[in-house]
Amino acid sequence: MELTTFRDQLFSEGETYGFTDMELYYEKTDSLRCQVFEGEVDGYESATVSGVSLRGLYKGKMGYAYTEKLEEDSIPYLLDNAKENAVLMESDPEALFSGSDHYEKLDLYTDALDDVQPEAIISFLKRVEEKANAFDPRVRHTEMTIMERKTFEKGLYNNRGLALSERNNFLLALISVSVEDNGELKSGMQFKISKDFAEMDADRLVKEAVEKALYALGGKVYPNKNYPVVFENNAAATFLATFASSFSAEAVQKEQSRLKGRLNDQIASDIVTLIDDPFLSEGIASRTFDAEGVPTSKCKVVDHGRLTTFFHNQQTAKKDGVSSTGHGGRHSYKGALQVSPSNFFVDPGKESFEALYSSMDEGIIITDLAGMHSGADPISGDFSLAADGFYVKDGKIVGPTNLMTVAGNFFDVLKDVIHVGNDLTFSPMSMNGYIGSPSLKIKQLSIAVD
Amino acid sequence: MLQKSVIEDVLQAALETGGDFSEVFVEDRLTNNMTLQSSRLEKSLTGRDFGIGIRVFKGLHSVYAYTNDASKEGLLKAAHTAAKAIQSDNSKQTKVIPLMKSNIQTINPIQIMPNKVEKTRKLAVMKKANEIARNYDSSISQVIIRLKDEEQNVLIANSEGTFAEDQRVYSRMAIMSIASDGLDMQTGHYGPGAHQGFEFIENLDLEYYAKESARIAKTMLHADPAPSGKFPVIIDNEFGGVIFHEACGHGLEATAIAKNNSVFAGKVGEKVASDLVTYIDDGTIPNEWGSLNMDDEGEKSRKNVLIENGILKGYMIDKLNGRRMGEKSTGSSRRESYKFAPTSRMTNTYIAPGTKSPEDIIANTEYGIYAKYMGGGSVNPGTADYNFAVGEAYMVKNGKIDKPIRGATLIGNGAETIQKIDQVGNNLGHGAGMCGASSGSLPVNVGQPMVRVSEITVGGREA
Repeated sequence: MELTTFRDQLFSEGETYGFTDMELYYEKTDSLRCQVFEGEVDGYESATVSGVSLRGLYKGKMGYAYTEKLEEDSIPYLLDNAKENAVLMESDPEALFSGSDHYEKLDLYTDALDDVQPEAIISFLKRVEEKANAFDPRVRHTEMTIMERKTFEKGLYNNRGLALSERNNFLLALISVSVEDNGELKSGMQFKISKDFAEMDADRLVKEAVEKALYALGGKVYPNKNYPVVFENNAAATFLATFASSFSAEAVQKEQSRLKGRLNDQIASDIVTLIDDPFLSEGIASRTFDAEGVPTSKCKVVDHGRLTTFFHNQQTAKKDGVSSTGHGGRHSYKGALQVSPSNFFVDPGKESFEALYSSMDEGIIITDLAGMHSGADPISGDFSLAADGFYVKDGKIVGPTNLMTVAGNFFDVLKDVIHVGNDLTFSPMSMNGYIGSPSLKIKQLSIAVD
Repeated sequence: MLQKSVIEDVLQAALETGGDFSEVFVEDRLTNNMTLQSSRLEKSLTGRDFGIGIRVFKGLHSVYAYTNDASKEGLLKAAHTAAKAIQSDNSKQTKVIPLMKSNIQTINPIQIMPNKVEKTRKLAVMKKANEIARNYDSSISQVIIRLKDEEQNVLIANSEGTFAEDQRVYSRMAIMSIASDGLDMQTGHYGPGAHQGFEFIENLDLEYYAKESARIAKTMLHADPAPSGKFPVIIDNEFGGVIFHEACGHGLEATAIAKNNSVFAGKVGEKVASDLVTYIDDGTIPNEWGSLNMDDEGEKSRKNVLIENGILKGYMIDKLNGRRMGEKSTGSSRRESYKFAPTSRMTNTYIAPGTKSPEDIIANTEYGIYAKYMGGGSVNPGTADYNFAVGEAYMVKNGKIDKPIRGATLIGNGAETIQKIDQVGNNLGHGAGMCGASSGSLPVNVGQPMVRVSEITVGGREA
């Protein structure tokens, strides 16, 4: 069934059910994913998926329902369930957004990506794999050689005439290799997100992934103690992504953030500025309207260490007596309205990554973090994460460490940032928003080495 | 769900360019998610997922296409897309074997279908759990109760003649308590789940689960930071099994084994763990969270003994990786939804019980750590380096449980850790969790009796 026909019929029937305000959110994803192994196409996935969700105000309360079946019989399904859910709800009333006169004019869609043929992607991946296997005799094989092209389309419509839509697309390349030396196994991964196929550099991807693995060989034990630590940019981005929920007004209002009551306080070192920019052309979370249709804008969440705002949607904003900051978010049509950052990152400084560690008498560089979903508590800020990295002495990298844990508290880390690098990168592991950081030097953290 | 004749046409169309195997997976899923927070129902979401996935093989190559369009035209279009992409030399055309309805019995009886239950009835159970957790102690500042139920209807057909329909029903209640003293916040979590209907929720011992969730949060609020170093670690039963899920479970999936991406590849018949370890993946335990009547390729689920008395016996294998390995499927192929191609995954994985009593294991430990509840973790199957978080733990001194500690992460290498298991208790228990990997997020059980590992590296806050 056509989306506009579905929408019109849904809204019209919804009125007979007793819904006063209704909103239809639509999402469509086209993806192509190619994987190569041992010179052959090992995986090829092609998909088109779409779904819709209804938010409807019934007797002043909001009900939700979603479906992936855009057919006539889904209309009563959505209305019946949204009504039942509305009646049950006990939270603060949500209200639909009526619309705004001003939305940023931004075209995030790159037409050229549509012309990239599967054959070109496959041939690129085969080249990457060949180069990886030839790069060094210690390379055993490639574990993953993948490229994915994703196109998102979303639309937001309500029964008061709001009609917004937006598209975005990007390519993601990922390579992971396994190396071996004297019975020791290590792996290294590198990825690249881009809107330009020509930007995908096979040699660079291979070099970075293989070198990551090779430099990790020959890990040594070092004493367990507190060390000054440099988080390399991708590890710093992953780290920030783990704790980004602390900045959500929803978390604050629900007793799930230690930033509660700290607005305008100095919560980080004065060289730390955190920015949320929904208009980054290379940001995969870029958007001109949020999940409620509120126009988005760039903002400083932390300004030279001072907390200046939380991320708000309409409901949290009303509770705090402020305006929505345009951070209404949903994971997809399946998710409830919550709060989500867009492209959220630590503003880069001037120093190179090398400058950050060359001033350490003794310290640790962390290149990778693991176990974020279990070893980190975004509520207390406590973390104890598995980490890979290097030992530094007299400003020089001595060599890799064995598998480590790095432990501490996120809110202490914010205050203990003593240098901010210039090498901003974003984490593909962001679950909510697109989170980034340059390399960061931290005064000290507790390190234990296996 | 779809007509047999339409499916046969789709399966044949997928093979038109020389593929040797095709499969259609149809999924129609009804989900309900309710969240109670601050003693109020804050979220109530209901929805229907629907889609079809078409897979084609040619030798070791595979192609996967998926769509929501269930019309005959839409399906044939997806089949053509898949056929076009499969690399083949157009030699012979494989013919689809006439589809025969499969006879796999259900081993997971469902009494009350979740979608037949009024949401007010579900809310009543959530509110009771909330009250119990909040009343446990004045330090409990927030309680979040999440109720999720799902009815997943699948139809699996393939060119070898399989035509199987299955229904999976899941119910889970997760209770998270937050204890706070004004400066600090700590959490406690317990999330029982089952491959069962609403009867599971209605019969849950809320007093036990809600109180435990609150008790863990309160205990950890007053706990000292964990020390760092190498210690003997006693891991209690149920969710303690997550250590072995990460340390060796993933490494025994054909997904990693078939491409030599696991430390356990090529080691069948060898001693890979301590003699005390028998490690099993069993999808046939009635109504357990990870159980299935059949896997997502239509194969009957079974009990697979992976390690027996320390010797590696076999792996968990799906059809495609089985081709690469020259082995048959073990009924272990799973996927989160039609949006994923299936691959070998775990179901209910556990260490078989031994003979020691938990009291003896603790009494036998002079100095070490007792991990009563575990959080989650992750592993790199290629190297077997793992990590996992401890939810509630205590120091053990002179054979007695001493003060509580918090913030510990255990790290190590899976292949080494399973060699260091030196005590296995007699109190087997299972814990429900969600496992994320290449074919998506799945309900799995992890399980074990109380187990002691002679040495694990603990990363705490105190250096």
